[in-house]
Amino acid sequence: MPTENAYLLFDLPGGRLAFAEGDLDTWAEHLTWCYRMMGIADGATIAVQDFGSSPISFLGSSLLMPGLQRGVAERIDGRFICLDASAERVTLTPALLSQLSVDALVIREDVIELLSAELRKREFVALAKRPMKTIVVFGDEPPSFNPARPAPWHHLMHVESTLLLAPQCVKCDCFHFRQGFYEIDGRTIRNLRLTAPPCDLPRGELFPPSHCAAGIGDWCIGLSPRGRGN
Amino acid sequence: MRDTTSSCAPNEAVETLSAAQLTAWQTARLREVASYAYREVPFYRQLWDKAGVDPGLLRSIEDFARFPTISKQDLVQAGDSWTNPHQGSVAFSTRGTSGAPLLVWLSREEEEAYIQPTMRGFRWAGFRPGMTALLMSPVWHRLAACEAHAIARLGGRCAFFWGSMGSEYTESFLHTLASERPEFITTTAPFLLSLIRRSTGASIRPHEFFTGVRSVVVVGLPLTPRMREFIRDRLQVDDVFERGGTQEGAATDECREHTAPHVHEDVCHLEVLDDAGVQVAPGFRGRLIVTKLSTAGSIFVRYDTGDVAAFAPGQCPCGCGFRRLKIYGRPETSVRVGDRLITAYDVRMCIEEDPALVGRNVLLIRDANPRAGLLTVAVEGDARDAGELQARLCEQLRVPTAHIVWLGDLRVNWGFRQVLDSRELRLPSS
Repeated sequence: MPTENAYLLFDLPGGRLAFAEGDLDTWAEHLTWCYRMMGIADGATIAVQDFGSSPISFLGSSLLMPGLQRGVAERIDGRFICLDASAERVTLTPALLSQLSVDALVIREDVIELLSAELRKREFVALAKRPMKTIVVFGDEPPSFNPARPAPWHHLMHVESTLLLAPQCVKCDCFHFRQGFYEIDGRTIRNLRLTAPPCDLPRGELFPPSHCAAGIGDWCIGLSPRGRGN
Repeated sequence: MRDTTSSCAPNEAVETLSAAQLTAWQTARLREVASYAYREVPFYRQLWDKAGVDPGLLRSIEDFARFPTISKQDLVQAGDSWTNPHQGSVAFSTRGTSGAPLLVWLSREEEEAYIQPTMRGFRWAGFRPGMTALLMSPVWHRLAACEAHAIARLGGRCAFFWGSMGSEYTESFLHTLASERPEFITTTAPFLLSLIRRSTGASIRPHEFFTGVRSVVVVGLPLTPRMREFIRDRLQVDDVFERGGTQEGAATDECREHTAPHVHEDVCHLEVLDDAGVQVAPGFRGRLIVTKLSTAGSIFVRYDTGDVAAFAPGQCPCGCGFRRLKIYGRPETSVRVGDRLITAYDVRMCIEEDPALVGRNVLLIRDANPRAGLLTVAVEGDARDAGELQARLCEQLRVPTAHIVWLGDLRVNWGFRQVLDSRELRLPSS
């Protein structure tokens, strides 16, 4: 992978992402598009419970990364709350969320059970009833279905090594692979904007462009949650 | 365009001021911050009206010392009345190890102010243009968010490993070390010590991963001299530097003299007070009080961190006029024994006089009855001469009785918290 001009390097399971001049703003714009596709309005306060090495975290604001002119917060004229996804920090989240009104909580799927358990504690019962949109981020497998936890507002597919960010559309409920950012070949998807290894799409029904008016040139995929019996 | 060396005009003028000039400069900044806080932040206006202090009449550090101190609890309770209209759009969480966590806001203007001292600290620690730095997660801490900007402006590359700062991510950290070969690292001391411990007995020794690393900068734990040597020797790096800072605005970095971290006096005004609220002389310990010298971000004026700290007396041989401050402990790293506050740092200093015990995790056990005068210390690994160690603890820490519990094979994660309640840990018999 060419990295001569890269000034930011992210070592990830199964790959490595290297960003050069201008790359970050391309991806911050794309992540903002993802949020809008999921129904997040301008001016929103977004809290992200993820690792700092995740673009969902580091593209959140230009304050977090050098060379990022406008992160998500600046693009939507909103606010960004940094919540690390370590177990220690997840247990603090309910107390933090009770200090301000958050429009969307974006959280890694692998820590949502822990957060749900914290929110069930008596002192946070009122917080759990707040109208907060929860967006669950999952990887190359469909999200798991668990009737015991509150249903998320929407899901965001994020395959880290490919820098695949595909939002669940509020219109068609499918995940959009944005035109001009990703290329589909059979069930393999390639990143067109950054050198990154391709990945195989998760099971699910693929729809070619023209499937959804929200992104007429996008490929889409319909996914059923794991563990739902289909 | 990304941050570059040319976009950074070094603002080191404050560093060269005499003590009197620095005091005058800080007094002017304190007046500016206090006046702004009084005007814009209802919490401070109400607090200071009640206390009968007037920011407009602030003419000296002594005037400033009459302003009341505040606690985290005060700010959590204050809610929206603590909001700064220019607090910025990005928030970080305090760790919540000493009560409820607090959301602290960062603005572009404030970050800009803090990038400068971050660059200064990294230069002291030996960072040079062209180097690659393996950095902490930028969402971990507001000071960590400044790190990548500082490295970019110093002409370096930033590398990040996958995961977070818990011990379960040491493998990921090692993978990045091996693949990116950085010359400079910032991390937390507990993370590094977990990594060393985990590598003990492994076929690949940790120093093999650290080949080419010149400097390691650590936060999160005050380094004892022997702990520094231990880390340096085990990892075979040129030097290890202690960096300090709080979400509330304190910022310190060590120079190569390692006498104690210098306070970045251009961004924060730090005080050390005794229990009566009176400033203590350098060399004496007290509670650390932080005032951020910025009207942007969350405003902290005379914030009582609860940390135990002391200014180092005299001048540093490096020539920098910034005062030096050692933070010895935090509420989560200290226990009260009788009328004495004992920090994990103090205990480690005693324990590490036995070279075989350097690098072992040490935990203080909070007794249900602190008045009993018993200091209980749990030490990882096999037993050594407990009698000699207990006598040393009693003599040096001036406690009536000390009790050592050897944890044997029981592994307790290295963490920021170094005190356990006696009910939390099923201790092996000593």
